[in-house]
Amino acid sequence: MILLGKIALGMMGAAVASAGLLCSEGFVDVNVVQHRDSPPHIHVIVPAMLAPIAVRLVPDEKLARASEQIQPWLPTVREALDGLRDAPDMTLVEVSDPDEYVHVAKYGGDIVVDVADRGETVHVSAPIGAIYSTVEALAAVAPMSNNRSSL
Amino acid sequence: MRTRSVVSTTGRLAAAAAAVLCAAFLMARAAGAAPEEKFLHVQVSDTKTSGENVNVNLPLTVAEKVLPTINRGPLHNGRVTLDRDQLQGIDMPAIIDAIKTSPDNKMVTVRQKDENIDVSKAGGNIVVHVNDTGKHGDNVNVTVPIAVVDALFSTTQKNEIDVAAALQALDKASDSFLVTVENATEHVRVWVDSHSQPQ
Repeated sequence: MILLGKIALGMMGAAVASAGLLCSEGFVDVNVVQHRDSPPHIHVIVPAMLAPIAVRLVPDEKLARASEQIQPWLPTVREALDGLRDAPDMTLVEVSDPDEYVHVAKYGGDIVVDVADRGETVHVSAPIGAIYSTVEALAAVAPMSNNRSSL
Repeated sequence: MRTRSVVSTTGRLAAAAAAVLCAAFLMARAAGAAPEEKFLHVQVSDTKTSGENVNVNLPLTVAEKVLPTINRGPLHNGRVTLDRDQLQGIDMPAIIDAIKTSPDNKMVTVRQKDENIDVSKAGGNIVVHVNDTGKHGDNVNVTVPIAVVDALFSTTQKNEIDVAAALQALDKASDSFLVTVENATEHVRVWVDSHSQPQ
C-alpha cells in the first residue's frame, strides 16, 4: 500500500513537473470570433513550447516552400525579435479605417495581434521566444540552406 | 533676538545642505542613468470619411539592428546605392561640410507660381519648407539634424548613402520632428523622441 502511494506520488510529481516545464515559455493564445447569425467561436490556448515541436512534426515537404521563403529573412527576423525582446511594452503598428482595425503590440514579452473587421475579430498573442523558436524550426526544414549551418 | 538669529542661520544652513544634497543626487542619477531609448514614430491620418489612420512606433535600436540585415534591391548592409545620375555629380560631403561651418541662415529660396521652397540652417538642423500653393497642395516640412545628414553621406562610396549610420546619429540627436506633410485631407508626421507611444 505504501509502495503504491509512493508510485502515485512520484507520478503526480512527474506530471506537475512536466506541466510546469510545458508552461514555462508561456502560452500561444488564438481567439477568433465571427460576427454572424450562428457564430463559430474558436479559442485555442496552447503552451508556447509546443509550437516549434509542432513544426517539426509536420512533414518536411509541406513546409519546404515556407521554409525557403523565410530563410533569406532569418537574420532580419532574429535581429527584430532580439530588439523587441528588450523593448518596453508598446504599440508597434496600428491601422484603422471605418471597416477594419489592426493593432500589433509588444506586451509583457508577447507579440499581440488584434484584427477586427465587420466579419470577425481575431486575437493572437505569442511569446517572442516561441516565435523565435518556431521561425528557427521552420527555417531548418529546407535542405539546401545557407542558414542551416547556423541553426 | 540672538535666539532668532541662531534659528535663522540654522534654517539657512539646513536649506543650503538640502540643496547641495538634491544637486548631488541629481548629478549622481544623471551620471549613472542609461541613455534614453529613442523611438521612431510614423503617423498618417486621413480625414476623409473612408480615410485610414496608420500609426507605427519602433525603437530606433531595433531599426538600427534590422536595417543592416536587409539585402534587397539597392539596400545592402544598411546602405542604399543610388543611380550614378541621381546625385548628378554633386559633392554632397563638401556641401555638408560647408553647411556645418556656416552660421544659421536661409540658404535657398525658390518662389514659383504655385510652389515656394525654403532651405535654411537653424540650430544644428537643416530645415526645408515646401509650400505647394495649388488647390490640393502639400505643405512639406523637413527638419533633419546636420549630424544625421553628415552620417548619411559618410560612406566612402560616392554613390551610396549610409542609412544605418544616419539612424545611429539620429539616436544620439535630440528629440526632433523629421518630416511633416500636410494637405487638405492627409497629415503625415515622422519624428523621433524618447516616448514609446505618440505624445
